[in-house]
Amino acid sequence: MIYLDNNATTRVAPEVFEAMQPYLNEVYGNPSSAHSLGQEMKAAVEHAREQVAALIGAADPGEIVFTSCGSESDNWAIGGFLEQNPTRRHIITTRVEHEAVRNLCEHLAEIGCEVTWLDVNEIGELNLDDLRRTLRRDTGIVSVMLANNETGVLFPMEEIGKIVRENSDAVFHVDGVQAVGKIPLDLKNSSVDLFALSGHKLHAPQGVGALYIRSGVKLPPFIIGGGQERGRRAGTSAVPNIVGLGAACELARTFEEHERIERLRNKLEDEILSAIPNARLNGTPDRSQRLPNTTNISFEYVEGENILLHLDKAGVCVSTGSACHSATKQSSPTLRAMNVPYTAAQGSIRFSLGRYNTEEEIDYTLKILPEIIGKLVEMSPYDKELRALTMRQL
Amino acid sequence: MHLSRAWKSGIITSMQRNSSLTVELFFNPKHVGEATEPRFIGRSSSFQCGATLRVSLHIDESAQITEAKFKAAGCSVLVASASLLMDQVLGKTTGEAAAFGQQAEALKDKLGALPVERSGCPALVREALVSAIQEYSDMARDEWEGDEALICTCFGVSERRIENEIESGGLRTIMEVTKACNAGAGCRSCYSLIEDILEEVNREQ
Repeated sequence: MIYLDNNATTRVAPEVFEAMQPYLNEVYGNPSSAHSLGQEMKAAVEHAREQVAALIGAADPGEIVFTSCGSESDNWAIGGFLEQNPTRRHIITTRVEHEAVRNLCEHLAEIGCEVTWLDVNEIGELNLDDLRRTLRRDTGIVSVMLANNETGVLFPMEEIGKIVRENSDAVFHVDGVQAVGKIPLDLKNSSVDLFALSGHKLHAPQGVGALYIRSGVKLPPFIIGGGQERGRRAGTSAVPNIVGLGAACELARTFEEHERIERLRNKLEDEILSAIPNARLNGTPDRSQRLPNTTNISFEYVEGENILLHLDKAGVCVSTGSACHSATKQSSPTLRAMNVPYTAAQGSIRFSLGRYNTEEEIDYTLKILPEIIGKLVEMSPYDKELRALTMRQL
Repeated sequence: MHLSRAWKSGIITSMQRNSSLTVELFFNPKHVGEATEPRFIGRSSSFQCGATLRVSLHIDESAQITEAKFKAAGCSVLVASASLLMDQVLGKTTGEAAAFGQQAEALKDKLGALPVERSGCPALVREALVSAIQEYSDMARDEWEGDEALICTCFGVSERRIENEIESGGLRTIMEVTKACNAGAGCRSCYSLIEDILEEVNREQ
């Protein structure tokens, strides 16, 4: 299989697997135990903490707390802040957040919080003046993603942080799940207070994440129980997973092929857009403002699910922004927030590359895709629109 | 085939489980395109999922469907359903095809059990088919040159026959008329006409 769905999850790297293996059988013990076996586990956890801190540029490994996933980290950051500061119930976030933030904020709005949703323009950018205007002295928390999971569009974390600092006392939380391991980070020299990350997006196993909590920022525990993670997150540490996350961060920090991945992404994007008449890019065309591994392309007037299934049959894994999960199928909230026309949002496909992708795989994808789209275009009842589109391009 | 891998709602897995025919028809749909002129067109679309479908039929002088084609921008189940339904109605008369298309259960045995979010897909295909037949019926009714005005083109029921049935049976509803003489058992484009006749005959009595 050709795996172009690395924003969904990634393969566990062999190096990560190797680092984890001893902790799944040979080395055991509870890191909270005082005996030597326990202490060996504890040392492994602390080593992993240093590895995570190094990748995201935390000032101190003690600012890293391990969690079970990115969603937990996001929920803890926002929910924990509100628990600590019950009177500061004004939250600012964006319309294109991952469900872990978006659905949480929708829920919070229902139970009495005031949520301001920042809009994006048609290429997925925020208007920072909107942020300036909506920030208030009593704003409690601003939660913004660094990289959009669907389009790869980057929000200007630094500028946002400065604006938050200058105009409010709000805590600044960043959902960094999709960005970690893909772009350089230096949190100690940023205005970020809280930062969520997830292991399985960077070749660690599923089931482990972390929350960066800047020194001095108070956050009550999300899970109450034993005193693990210095009392901040109870529950016996998932040592093998944590070791895996550490190893994955180390691997990402020393990865030297970011440019190769970006070049493959660019090739894929350029050639699709030039070869397929009904293809259009979702998200800013300025690649410096997007993740280097992601391209989201709409194939207008055809159905994304069908593209996905045909690609799957041909051995290529991608994802689509249109899928019926429930009784009502809706195109992705991100694409809707960007005002992508309905007939384009329905046919959106996300290609997200990773360290194991090769040029041959991209060439193969480029070879089979036009035929698949052609077949679906032929089937589309929007013949008039498609003809007009082809005419425009001639 | 690793069809189920990247699939969130499990539709392909359930398609595989229920019917390899459905999977086959999705990947290699039959009857895609446009019937030759003169053709009768039916359209349907879903506000819920945004799927759009067009059915076109070529129908000969004996009201037999000689070509049944579709075009669709919709999910895998919609494409497979459309393929199947076109297959089923090809060679049937418009009356048989419309009567078949009206049945909610029409494709169930072939499609197998569908997840609840896809249960509307076959209905969308049936709707477009029936609407294409209605277009044909309206034309056939207008062009009819027989002695007695034709009301139900699907089953060739005349106005006179319907009047007689209403009078002799004391009929009050369209359903009773359909039961008595089959008028309205097909595409139902004559429903408003039958209603008028019912009203008129019952007023005279």
